[in-house]
Amino acid sequence: MISAYYFGAIALVLIGLYAVLVKKNLLKILIGLSIMETGVNLLLISIGYVSGRSAPILSEGITASKAVDPIPQALVLTAIVIGVATTAMALSVAIILYEKYGTLNIEEIRRLRG
Amino acid sequence: MSQVAALLIALPLISAFFVPVLKQISKNLIKPYLVLITLVQTGIAAWVFNEVYSTGKPILVYAGGWKPPVGINLYIGHFAALFVLIIAIVSFLMAIFSFKAVNIEPIDKYAMLFLLLMLGATGMIATGDIFNLFVFMEITAITAYALTAYNKTGEAAEASMKYIVLGGIGSSFFLIGVALLYGATGTLNMAQLAEFAKSINPVVAQVGLALIVFGLAVEAELFPLNAWAPDAYQAAPHPVTVMFSAFVVKAGIYALARLLYLLQKASGWSSVLRLLLIMATLTVIFAELSALRQKDVKRMIAYSSIGQIGLVALAFSLGTQAGVDAGVFHMVNHAIVKALLFLGVGYVGITLGGTKLENFEGLGRRMPLTALAITIGAIATVGVPLFNVFWSKLRIILATLNAGFLWPAILVLFASVVEAVYYFRLVHRIWFMGTGERAKEGVIAGILIVLAIIVVAIGIDPTPLWNIVTKAGNDLFNVATYIKNVPLMGVGP
Repeated sequence: MISAYYFGAIALVLIGLYAVLVKKNLLKILIGLSIMETGVNLLLISIGYVSGRSAPILSEGITASKAVDPIPQALVLTAIVIGVATTAMALSVAIILYEKYGTLNIEEIRRLRG
Repeated sequence: MSQVAALLIALPLISAFFVPVLKQISKNLIKPYLVLITLVQTGIAAWVFNEVYSTGKPILVYAGGWKPPVGINLYIGHFAALFVLIIAIVSFLMAIFSFKAVNIEPIDKYAMLFLLLMLGATGMIATGDIFNLFVFMEITAITAYALTAYNKTGEAAEASMKYIVLGGIGSSFFLIGVALLYGATGTLNMAQLAEFAKSINPVVAQVGLALIVFGLAVEAELFPLNAWAPDAYQAAPHPVTVMFSAFVVKAGIYALARLLYLLQKASGWSSVLRLLLIMATLTVIFAELSALRQKDVKRMIAYSSIGQIGLVALAFSLGTQAGVDAGVFHMVNHAIVKALLFLGVGYVGITLGGTKLENFEGLGRRMPLTALAITIGAIATVGVPLFNVFWSKLRIILATLNAGFLWPAILVLFASVVEAVYYFRLVHRIWFMGTGERAKEGVIAGILIVLAIIVVAIGIDPTPLWNIVTKAGNDLFNVATYIKNVPLMGVGP
């Protein structure tokens, strides 16, 4: 039986990929990318989960043997920031594209050819 | 003492943060500042290069004094030392070129992104940790997106958007691959990963590696994922184009080769290699055929650059020592030749306004030195004897045949013929068509001539470079030595 976390994470990645491949509106494509990144982050987090343990903050009553794997949380923290930076960059480029082309339909944005 | 090598990362980072401060003082200081920083970076890289090649031992830098696999380590072996030096030198030349090539505002943002691109590529080459590799890859990618869109034209935004979408998918795939490998082994350190490679579940190893290959193939411009590259090369500012083809792609393909060869003990490894072999051969064919019908010279050379990277990937996908050595040799040669070609074409584009094929008619009379340098670059790329690319192409073909792959060798040779057609068409236009006034040539022509002399010098006597390159190739291929060189905490003696 595959865990619901893994299933959900991979499903999110696939939904995002579908949106990127099929949608014609640039903003929907960027939403797809964001969904995909969320799915990847969820997958990373669920890999570090150990059933029945608590957050990896050492305090009273919580020792190292009672915490989940802390490494994926550090990875996800980094990956989230990178994802936000990419999205911000992409959105600013989308604004320039709309100013120059007057459309966000990717089939009409085609000046570079060959 | 060896921890000083951390400055390779620290110096561009700190100096990038000082650019906004400098802008408050005077805008005219920013370009000289860029030249100064890249010059210092070249000095550090040259010291590191000398240190690694004279002692024969890699320099290991531990982040925060934690031994791997707990802390992140930088591994500057023979390969990394060589390429860090190439990155620094190319950046230095481009900082000089920027004086003439980049005149639109905001120049301070350009300088920051320039330094961060150099930082990202250096980090990708030097790191010894796969998640850290991902972070440096994203630094490189995000600065590359921004620099592609820097000209603020519609074309530049379009090229950048293609790159962002493909790069976003690629980095997500790469991260899934990293997650799978981490889930299977519990480590992110490359040396420890290589030790555990044998015991990874074959399905996980195969899927994880394939995802990593696909993710890095975006940065490395391999076949199904390279549609962004010609657009980005055409629309980006000229110095940035040189940096893309001279080292951003190299960093991607290096990371690909490094991770592949680290996991060579994993079962299912050879099928991933076969996947890469097919992708590489297709890259060469498609890129060269597309270059044939280009009207814009910058775009034509962009396709040619992709084709050459396909050759490097082919050499790396053979899985033999000879192939890896030849691939590294070609990477160095290609970095020099493509820096020469894109610099020359960019210079013509600035001086004569645009890089259309018509602008190159009569270039031999208008800008003789530039024309001569472009011609040498073009002939060298085709692989004519007595030029440097001839030796590396020869070695790649021989290594392919020795590994028993007849068809890839034939297809790649065919692509070289196609390459000769469009390069000689360009050379013919430069020297035998059109006329024009003499245009003034400055410092850039001097740099071009120096690069051209290097191309010819390596072509006449490739042995010194070949000796360096075989050491670098050994660094990449021989994983047992790599593991031995990284002292792992709590594992082994």
